Amino acid sequence: MAIGLKWSGSGMFLATEIRVQLHEWLAIVTGTLTPGALIVFVAILAPELLPVTVIGALVYSMFLIGQRVLNEAAYIRIDHKLNELYHASPLSPEGYFVGIAGGMLVAYLPPSLVLVVILEILHPLAPLGWLVLAACLIGVWLVSSTIGYVVSTLFKDMKTIWPYSALLTNLFGILPPVFYPLGKVAIEWRSAVLLLPTSAAAALVDAAAGLDPITTNEAILAACALSVEAIALFAFGIYWARRTAREP
Amino acid sequence: MTIEALRAEDVRKVYHSRGSPDVEALRGVSLALRQGERVALLGRNGAGKTTFLRITSTLLLPTSGRIEVFGHDVVSAPEDVRPMIAVVPQEGKPFFHLTPREQVYCYLRARGFSKEVARSRTEEALEKMGLEEVGNRLSVTLSGGQKQRAMVATVMATEAPLMFLDEPTIGLDPFARRAVWDMLRALTRRGSTVLLTTHYLDEAEALSERLYIVEEGRILFEGTAEAAKRQIGGTLRVSIENGGNHRDLFVSFGQTVAEGTSLHVITEPERIHEVMDIALRNRLSATVGPVTLEEAFLTIVGRSIDAE
Repeated sequence: MAIGLKWSGSGMFLATEIRVQLHEWLAIVTGTLTPGALIVFVAILAPELLPVTVIGALVYSMFLIGQRVLNEAAYIRIDHKLNELYHASPLSPEGYFVGIAGGMLVAYLPPSLVLVVILEILHPLAPLGWLVLAACLIGVWLVSSTIGYVVSTLFKDMKTIWPYSALLTNLFGILPPVFYPLGKVAIEWRSAVLLLPTSAAAALVDAAAGLDPITTNEAILAACALSVEAIALFAFGIYWARRTAREP
Repeated sequence: MTIEALRAEDVRKVYHSRGSPDVEALRGVSLALRQGERVALLGRNGAGKTTFLRITSTLLLPTSGRIEVFGHDVVSAPEDVRPMIAVVPQEGKPFFHLTPREQVYCYLRARGFSKEVARSRTEEALEKMGLEEVGNRLSVTLSGGQKQRAMVATVMATEAPLMFLDEPTIGLDPFARRAVWDMLRALTRRGSTVLLTTHYLDEAEALSERLYIVEEGRILFEGTAEAAKRQIGGTLRVSIENGGNHRDLFVSFGQTVAEGTSLHVITEPERIHEVMDIALRNRLSATVGPVTLEEAFLTIVGRSIDAE
């Protein structure tokens, strides 16, 4: 898959997307509302779970980038037809995909950095904890950006896409144990839950931070699931970007 | 030596969709463009113009046929073709949350131009398209015409060897349209080749050196605007108000075209006085003017529709 990848121009397209997003600063701010509200609720109702919720908010924010990729890629394809401008240019399809995904990551990173500072105040992590956090967040970003990009290519109007965008965020970000500890999930459901990239990431970071221990088998399952999904999906994203750059 | 910018041979495209019959959008289109030419592709809505442009610009696969851009196969080697082309998509819009200056500059940079070249070309394109004053305003605040000009400026600034423009002047005022025409002429003088679609036949006539008329996926006509006009059997048009009911009186003078209650008679200069005489004797108001490309287009396409 990696053979023949072309990245020329993708850095500039990524910079373009960052510029676009920074002009929409209100969207960046409002993106923090859901995790912010959940943090406030937990601070009031169960303050002892606050570090877990902040880690969950970081994972959720990373998954939310996929929703942004979905909306942005669909918007510039369906409403603006700008994908045609870029696909009929030296910018490679994979460069276009990574440009959108990377642009969203950089533009929406500041709220996550605020969460990192809050986490450091509430529950400082050891170096290994930071490493696990960074690796898991990158994994979630790869998964969510790919899902977002692929889904964006499947529909022909924005109104059809909106419900899927909300569905994916709730299905991966709110419902599974992302904002709450894996320990709250019934034992028979744990393996299934750890197959989801978001709950796998949250469980690994919570465990690395010493907030919610998991068994070795669960750690292996979560780490394998997240890394395989991230690598496989991202590779599929590149394949899909190439395939959809030209309609059959 | 003449360099061929685009060659299409027997290009066919069939759209398949579940639950509906297949649509044959292109039925064997063949055409060729020499480097530095400006060529217009004319046709009714749904004639196949955009499909052809999307295939040649590597955005859509043909069902069969062969297309080459500067000798590179569009189907098998799109990555060799893409650096040589630029496209103004139909109904394309700039990034709403970029300024026209950012839009043009960022696009040029993404295509691999250096900062210096991108900057100077951006300023030149904005100036030529009359966008300097709004160059730093977000595109979302611009009028429809200004947005369209920003799109055209973005593509023209590339000075790509082959440019595809799908209705590039739609929604533009006459001044802006002429600015686009001037820019296109300047680009072809520098060696770029332009293939455009338009529904403005005056634009096609003013701008293109050759034109193709497409109907139902087939090319009906290829040649100059003058040659198209000669196809309809006269150089002058007499428009007779309320002449629709008197067609029989005029059929012997040349081609007659009904439009609402009016009747247009296409004829030669030496027969004009006879046509006018009959019109006036029947108390019909009539005016004389040169045959337009629009009439030639209506005739050529109309003939094809009648034949079916």
